[in-house]
Amino acid sequence: MRSILFVLVALSILQGRPADAEPIAIVVNSGDATLSLLNMAGTELRRVPVLREPHHLTLSPDKSELLVGDAGGNEMLFLDPRTGAIRRRVPMADPYHLGFSPDARWLVVTGLARNQVDVYDAARMTLVHRFPARSMPSHLAFAPDSSVAYVTLQGINQLAAYDLKRRVLLWSVEVGPTPAGVIWHNGRLLVANMGSDHFAVVDPTDGRVERRVRTGRGSHQLFPSPDGATLWVNNRVDGTTVALDPRTYEVRRTYRVPGGPDCIDFAPDGTLWITQRFIQKVGVLDPVSGTLRSFPVGRSPHGVFLTANLP
Amino acid sequence: MTDPFSTAAGWLQEQVLLPLLYGIGLMQWEEVAFGWALFACYGMAQVVLTFAVCLPLERWRPVEHWPDAKAVWVDVLYTVISRVGLLPLVTFVLFYQLQVGMTGWLADHGYVAPTLERLVPALLGHHLLTFFIYAVVLDFAEYWRHRLSHRFAWWWALHSLHHAQRQMTFWSDDRNHLLDEVIGFVWFMAIGLLIGIPPLQFPLLVLLLRFLESLSHANARVSFGWLGERLLISPRYHRAHHGVLAAGQRSANYGAILPWWDMLFRTADFDRAYVQTGDPSAEEAMATGTYVQQQAAGLRRMARMAGWIAPVPRG
Repeated sequence: MRSILFVLVALSILQGRPADAEPIAIVVNSGDATLSLLNMAGTELRRVPVLREPHHLTLSPDKSELLVGDAGGNEMLFLDPRTGAIRRRVPMADPYHLGFSPDARWLVVTGLARNQVDVYDAARMTLVHRFPARSMPSHLAFAPDSSVAYVTLQGINQLAAYDLKRRVLLWSVEVGPTPAGVIWHNGRLLVANMGSDHFAVVDPTDGRVERRVRTGRGSHQLFPSPDGATLWVNNRVDGTTVALDPRTYEVRRTYRVPGGPDCIDFAPDGTLWITQRFIQKVGVLDPVSGTLRSFPVGRSPHGVFLTANLP
Repeated sequence: MTDPFSTAAGWLQEQVLLPLLYGIGLMQWEEVAFGWALFACYGMAQVVLTFAVCLPLERWRPVEHWPDAKAVWVDVLYTVISRVGLLPLVTFVLFYQLQVGMTGWLADHGYVAPTLERLVPALLGHHLLTFFIYAVVLDFAEYWRHRLSHRFAWWWALHSLHHAQRQMTFWSDDRNHLLDEVIGFVWFMAIGLLIGIPPLQFPLLVLLLRFLESLSHANARVSFGWLGERLLISPRYHRAHHGVLAAGQRSANYGAILPWWDMLFRTADFDRAYVQTGDPSAEEAMATGTYVQQQAAGLRRMARMAGWIAPVPRG
């Protein structure tokens, strides 16, 4: 009976009080199917139950909605981006990672478990094309002209380029072990190879790797700072977050962030909010002092969004 | 609030599994590995919890006293393999692959697999209520899996390994033939896929069910009273199922946690109390052999009952 009591206590924390309109942090807890809403001091205000296994989020182009993909639950959640309240749910097959094309025309969704890359009409939220992907399509990025979506294929160590107009696979090329995060940066693609200690600098025309930049073991995802002055990389295995020069890729400083650092959002005060996947915390890193303060959230926190950045 | 199982699993993931996966080039499985770590930590905790609760009960009010309890040690091995080793591996490798394959195939045909919450939208957001509904549904499924394992001769041959133990204790719950375990997992996977139980909620349900199942096997004179026995299965109630007269293809008290299904389908027997356990028709190796001998004897019995090999001549 003690097991039952434990479960009762554990699940009772799902009930909470509504968040107010103050700036909050929304953390997506993929391991226990909840969203943690925290104030900017790091206190958890509320946990919002979702369906199964949410991972990533993205803001709609007009910034009126925050989309959270519940991959395990096969649905897309549309949230009020200021309060985290769920406005509507749309059935969608395996929305793992997601992003709107820069021209706001397409929403591209990777189905990591189902080996598919789906292209939705962003206005109607209807599926217009499904690209079969060979193995574990993970993160995605767009060409600035919205013509191409680039997707890392973790299971086969490749980066694939999908033409969104002609709806064809342009190329799929090996870039390194277990590629995860990918971003468009200064006319190149940067691909974090999680099975290695570097990110690859890739020519977007043909996928050729031009250079490899060492950051640390388990290089997972890259985030340019809002002012463009720093490029940040999280290293999953080493448990570090690295600040690099965005032009030369020279490592400026390495910060210890334990617990499998994953996604980052940038607060207006200059701190970085970093999800720590395996210790159920979100860390707030002050890049000047190097101080990391970590706050409890749900199990396996993944995506993070700060409402303070909204206009 | 941070639960200690997640904390332990996080440590295991960060300090052991991630460096290991990185070293052997399998980092794409890091999220699955974390699920496995969680399951293993829950399993380990459950072994400890079961031990802490059931051992004092067995010392306090034993049904039987044995001068030599060597046969029990094999059951301990079964428990460790099942709850910390085999069980998590099967769940997070086989279950994950099966789930991905099946749901992917469904999605390709324009069908997103349902969940209980989507079938009953009022459940959305009510995790606690949903959790208990899933538990009841899974218990119902377990009743029929267990009943069918007695019904079919070849399946009973495998399941009889579970019944062969004459020194039944709380360790005996996991004393199962490996093939019987695999069938059981496939059964639960199918149910899970039909009603959308994801891997990370599935193990908690299984572990909760199995803690109560362990208790029901305890060598202890413990009854929940007239009303309690009709709400939850007690050691007294389940012992009747393991009685020497109940071993075979026609038995009683098949339920795992809730006796409701036995009552509904008229297989409940509340009268027999604290009987002698075992299966007199089983090979001695199934009762007192080593782990390997028991597994081999189970296969032999299945082959005989299926008619693949000749039956043992009776003297």
